[in-house]
Amino acid sequence: MYLTRKTGEMEKILEIKNLYVGRIDGTKILPVLNNIELSIYKGELFCLVGESGSGKTTLALSIIRLLPKSFRILSGEIILCNKKITGISEELIRGLRGKLVSMIFQDPGAYLDPLFNIDTHLRESFHGNPVEFNQLKIKVITEVGLSPEILSVYPHQLSGGQQQRVLIAMALINNPSIIIADEPTTALDVLTTKQIIKLLDQIRIKHNPGMLFITHDLNLALSTGTRIGIMYRGCIVEIFKPNKEKPLHPYTKILMGYSEENHSDISDTTLMDTKQETDEKCIFFERCPEKKPLCNRKVDFIWRDETTGIRCIKYGQNSQM
Amino acid sequence: MRNFLGRLKKYSKVSYFSFWFLIIFYLVSFFADILIPYHFDYQFRDKPYHPPSKIHFIDTEGRFHIKPFVYETFVDDPIFRTYKENYSVRYPIKFLVDGPERNVFFIFKTKKYLFGVDAPAGIFLFGTDTYGRDIFSRLLYGSRISLSISIIGVLISFVLGMITGGFAGYFGGITDQVLMRIVEILMVFPSFYLMLSLRAMFPLNLSSIQVYFLIVMILSLIGWAGLARIIRGMVLSIKEEDYVLAARSLGLSHWRILVFHILPNTFSYTITAITISVPGYIIGESALSLLGLGIQEPYPSWGNILSSTVGNIRVISDAPWLLLAGAFIFIILINFNILGDALRNVLDPKNW
Repeated sequence: MYLTRKTGEMEKILEIKNLYVGRIDGTKILPVLNNIELSIYKGELFCLVGESGSGKTTLALSIIRLLPKSFRILSGEIILCNKKITGISEELIRGLRGKLVSMIFQDPGAYLDPLFNIDTHLRESFHGNPVEFNQLKIKVITEVGLSPEILSVYPHQLSGGQQQRVLIAMALINNPSIIIADEPTTALDVLTTKQIIKLLDQIRIKHNPGMLFITHDLNLALSTGTRIGIMYRGCIVEIFKPNKEKPLHPYTKILMGYSEENHSDISDTTLMDTKQETDEKCIFFERCPEKKPLCNRKVDFIWRDETTGIRCIKYGQNSQM
Repeated sequence: MRNFLGRLKKYSKVSYFSFWFLIIFYLVSFFADILIPYHFDYQFRDKPYHPPSKIHFIDTEGRFHIKPFVYETFVDDPIFRTYKENYSVRYPIKFLVDGPERNVFFIFKTKKYLFGVDAPAGIFLFGTDTYGRDIFSRLLYGSRISLSISIIGVLISFVLGMITGGFAGYFGGITDQVLMRIVEILMVFPSFYLMLSLRAMFPLNLSSIQVYFLIVMILSLIGWAGLARIIRGMVLSIKEEDYVLAARSLGLSHWRILVFHILPNTFSYTITAITISVPGYIIGESALSLLGLGIQEPYPSWGNILSSTVGNIRVISDAPWLLLAGAFIFIILINFNILGDALRNVLDPKNW
């Protein structure tokens, strides 16, 4: 639909191994992310899809190590450009933010400081030599499709689409290895969404960063992503390539409308009381239309090959055999 | 700056006027040394409680004179101290009149005064006080003390409040606890009594300059606590804003986020708070001087000019010009309040 997709050379930019994140609630630790396995390669656009509350944003924030205070990384590793960033100090990680990894947020208006004009925003984002900045800011601002006059303007004077472009320019100015876009189009209308997606795609092809694109719109993900990860209750249940293979996981099928959800066993409490008891049975057990007695035990994420995988006993074992 | 003035004018004409009024007033008080017609402690021994001089253009014979002039006055009724004019000689108002030698800005000495009349007549624009000193000169000279104390005091307490409130709010935890307990201890005491007891800790026989700095310190020490508390509250809420998260995601340091992103966002409040608290400092100085604990005679301040009227009920009927210092405090106060209200709107980019 958009420009040509290429996965590029297979250089791993981000690797997440067996990540567990929990929220501390008094003395209890409530699991938020369970057993996350993910890797993102240079030049790809990885879409992360899931319901609200499935842990997409938490995953993004743990990659940039900006989790809210009550959240902790319990175990697992995050490796960013061959640097392990779990367990290193705040000072060290600060040097990586913006340079190696930068983030584009959901509601662009709220993420721009109302007191500063766009020029100041770009200057604050830029980590390099101030002398280069004056040329670079024009280059970046035209690259995201804005005119240089916008530099002297204040955030509230811009439209939502323009604000989002400014945020993209801020993320882009240091030429990071990976850009995390956390639902960047949620606050925008359909046409602006298309423009922003197109812009992100252009940037990906030109600068070749890895992109982690978080959305709850599966159709958008299918039409843009080189790979798609489906999240459910704090787990990645499936990673697949949208144009090459059909997804197999029952949850993905439901999302894509291939099959109907199993309503019989769901009570409100099982839906509300999420992210618990994951050790005892498959996380999708209650809602799964294809469940078997075998599913009544812990299921881990299984890599089918280098880039795709599934968390389901039925399909995971099939491909392994 | 031009933008700022334009916006201020657009926001309200009254606040625009207030702004220029205050600027001019501060300039006048800064150049008080040059503008006064008499030295602040020069006494006309024979003219206590002299009412404001009448300035004439037309003499007794009905002739008009381009140069305004005054008549010499003499005591008409020694009990009620009423004065009458002696119409025999005209004393035209002159510029650059000779008088007793004085210091200007502590730098050079001069015998020239900007305006005045020949002896033995005197020109008292606002009358004289108990010792026959010119109130106009004393008010002008006193404004230097009163207005500069307020500005310096406000700046000190503003900086203190910003630092404490910012640190407490941003870092939270034990920093917050310790700083806020200190602030609460300061706030527990009624500020006026705290001011008095702080002043009582120091000896009374200090030089004027020492007293001046002591008062600045006392006033700002009292003023910063409330400001710190409110700034802490604002920082607590601002640090949860998304743009702070965005700033962190850009890899900015805590220091930079606090100073460049969080504290500037409290300015809409603090600038208003500052302009509104300036009168508080003028009143604080006046209150101390009124009780004889502030600026000591013969140095004038608005407070001790007012204090000379305390316990002297006759002043209100017989020499109301002694209360002019109060009127000046009132005018400055009103203008600062108007300006403070306007600044909050004018300095917020969202209203541009």
